[in-house]
Amino acid sequence: MRSVRVWLEKDGRAIYTSHLDLNRCMTRAVRRAGIPLWYTEGFNPHPYLMFPLPLPLGQSSDGEPMDIRIETDMTDGEIFDALSRVMPEGFTVKAVREPWDKAGDVAMAQYLITLELADAVQAERTAAVIRSLIDGGELTAEKTGKKGRMKVVKEIKLSELIHRFELSWEGSFIKISAVLSAGSTVNLNPALMLDALCKAGGFEPVYTEIRRQKLLKSDFSDFE
Amino acid sequence: MLSKELKNILLKVQKPGRYTGGELNSVVKDSAGIAVRYAFCFPDTYEIGMSHLGMKILYGLVNEREDAWCERVFAPWLDMEKQMREHNIPLYALESGDPIKDFDLIGFTLQYELCYTNVLNMLDLAGLPVRSGERKALTPIVIAGGPCVCNPEPLAPFVDLFLPGEGEEVTNDIIDLLKKHKALGSTKQEFLKEAAKIQGVYVPSFYSVEYNPDNTVKAVTPSNGAPEKVKKRIVSDLDNCYYPDKFVVPFLEVVHDRTTAELFRGCIRGCRFCQAGFLYRPIREKQAKTVDGQCRALCGSTGYDEISLCSLSTSDYTQLYPLLNGLLEWTEEDRINIALPSLRIDNFPEELMQKISSVRRSGLTFAPEAGTQRLRDVINKNITEDVVMSTVKEAFDGGWTAVKLYFMIGLPTETLEDVEGIAKLAQKVVDEFYHNPNKPKGKSVTVSVSASTFVPKPFTPFQWEAQDTPEAIAEKQKHLFESNTTRKVNISCHKVYTSVLEGVFARGDRRLADVIETAWKSGCKFDGWDDVFDTEKWEAAFENCGISPEFYASRQRSFDEVLPWDHMDYGISKSFLINENKKAHEAVTTPNCREKCSGCGTNKLNGGVCHALCKGMA
Ligand code: SF4
Repeated sequence: MRSVRVWLEKDGRAIYTSHLDLNRCMTRAVRRAGIPLWYTEGFNPHPYLMFPLPLPLGQSSDGEPMDIRIETDMTDGEIFDALSRVMPEGFTVKAVREPWDKAGDVAMAQYLITLELADAVQAERTAAVIRSLIDGGELTAEKTGKKGRMKVVKEIKLSELIHRFELSWEGSFIKISAVLSAGSTVNLNPALMLDALCKAGGFEPVYTEIRRQKLLKSDFSDFE
Repeated sequence: MLSKELKNILLKVQKPGRYTGGELNSVVKDSAGIAVRYAFCFPDTYEIGMSHLGMKILYGLVNEREDAWCERVFAPWLDMEKQMREHNIPLYALESGDPIKDFDLIGFTLQYELCYTNVLNMLDLAGLPVRSGERKALTPIVIAGGPCVCNPEPLAPFVDLFLPGEGEEVTNDIIDLLKKHKALGSTKQEFLKEAAKIQGVYVPSFYSVEYNPDNTVKAVTPSNGAPEKVKKRIVSDLDNCYYPDKFVVPFLEVVHDRTTAELFRGCIRGCRFCQAGFLYRPIREKQAKTVDGQCRALCGSTGYDEISLCSLSTSDYTQLYPLLNGLLEWTEEDRINIALPSLRIDNFPEELMQKISSVRRSGLTFAPEAGTQRLRDVINKNITEDVVMSTVKEAFDGGWTAVKLYFMIGLPTETLEDVEGIAKLAQKVVDEFYHNPNKPKGKSVTVSVSASTFVPKPFTPFQWEAQDTPEAIAEKQKHLFESNTTRKVNISCHKVYTSVLEGVFARGDRRLADVIETAWKSGCKFDGWDDVFDTEKWEAAFENCGISPEFYASRQRSFDEVLPWDHMDYGISKSFLINENKKAHEAVTTPNCREKCSGCGTNKLNGGVCHALCKGMA
């Protein structure tokens, strides 16, 4: 048995696949590729396949890591080829490598957010609004969580979770490049940040796209 | 392929994966080279439609053709419909995203009566008039197939042509004909006239219906050269009939998400309440090696880890053991489970049973259907209490603690004593558990009883019977609950009014079209969904149209009444059905088709051949 990290681009119609569905979908892809997965032992054996950082529904990604355990002496290159042949529309295998970092080492993620506003005037105005909101450092969002059985609404300070934020605009488009906290303990979904910006700034884009570009470790180096 | 407009609404609805397409093995073609574009519509949710084998077969079959492109369409759920209407997005096909109103063929599969309002709603969402008379152009032609087509009359004014029987051959015939008429620039009428000449095509607008003063049908008269009786189409040789080697693999979890193998069509049992058992006759088997090959291809192309062996009564398949042995040779190694959904457990070899996952996972299921032997004889359900008891005994010996029993309430001749029999039988199963010295230690037993409501259906021996009134059903359900004295038995029953509605449409005539349209206009849709179904709206629709549901549901018909579906020919002779009905009332059983042919007549559709009779097919 050995572990492999497969890097997948996710784009197009595939972005509407939820995390749970993605697991099932990729297990089948690995089966079609003829790569023997390693199964857990015990009463209800299941194949080992996991995503260190699930991607929210509706977002695309340059490269999502997927960890699998396999029972084969296929090389990384052979696995790359076999998987590439069977991927559903919207998924592209970018790389197959040994998992270098532990899944828990993910600390941040870098996103590219594209907003389309009604026109160039709106875009310019909105860009200024966003900038001042970020610079103000007061941005908050509400998050519903659970405390025991009770539903609780928590207010979270977003500025603490935003590590880098760059913004540019051209025509009716605004592009934001942001590095946000990510991982299993503290995680900021860029959609949540965007909602908070829209609410606080009183604007509504006509169209939005969010793309995850890479995962980072706490020292800002790439998660590999 | 998704417009920005669509992308914007997709994140506002539940399960956007229902509406995106792009699944593995879905077929995308260049529309430039396509003569006939076909929108295959399933009038229910994506999850239900994507589980349906018939759709997979016809989808693959049409897409084999270079001149045609078949795409899938499902009924958008309420939240999506709202968004689509608000943003003026017409109903589109999943593969191309193109609006289906521009397609050449729009085909519906009618699996259950309660989907009729969804058919209308989908046509409307497409931007088309729901009545065929108002769709003047040659295309789109609206067609419909599926079991409900055995009595399509309630939908007659909405659908251009119905396809009774099996769709594999006739679909291609229709596509060929439409292609020709498109090239010729024919009118819709010209096309329909030619179509009506094909066996297995029913053009409802070519038939006029007259009624008697008592509201029964007086006569159905064909015109435009359409045949007096429309004979259903069947496929003769399943081994050489098209079967897909790929299934579209959904991203979302759907109801049946696995490889499905079809073993045979038809059923040898002849249970008198079961419409499928008569509609799909004569019996035609597939060779085990054909099935095995199809399973290998499908598992390879989909990556599924489960095969479901699907037929009406799977254990009646004559080559079941060779098939299972062959499958187990490769499925075990590939970690593929085999599921047998409709299993009679009597005489099933233990070592095979151990390897079959359905039994392992879901516990035992039995369908005695009726609570007393007398009533089981009436319905010709050949399962005795002894068999039930000996099988549960074995199961308890083997460590099972859950048994599921399926029954029906409202069967012809049923008395309260029969209803009580259901609770008694369940109690006996509980007792059997506690008397069993080998029962699993320290565990208790659960017996689940599901009691659905019997609905008389066309082309069964009970097609003349009165359905129990809602009051009678409610009383029987209450009696069943009161007869149950143990908490080890869980009873669940169906909603009463939906069964009545199902019964009305199953045996209805054309006048019901107004009721369907009225109900739909008042907001009825997804009527098969308990949480959406609106009894009051339906009651109002009947009242506004001046039509009494009782006339259709709870009226006993005489054998010489002209039935609204008498001009549909499913190969089953009426004298056979009458004879079966009489025997039912005398509680006399009919042997299964393997023991003896009872002359139902369907073998004539297949050149006299019925595989129920050939022992040990080569
Ligand atoms: S032809 Fe005879 S054996 Fe075949 S289905 Fe009919 S009754 Fe049964």
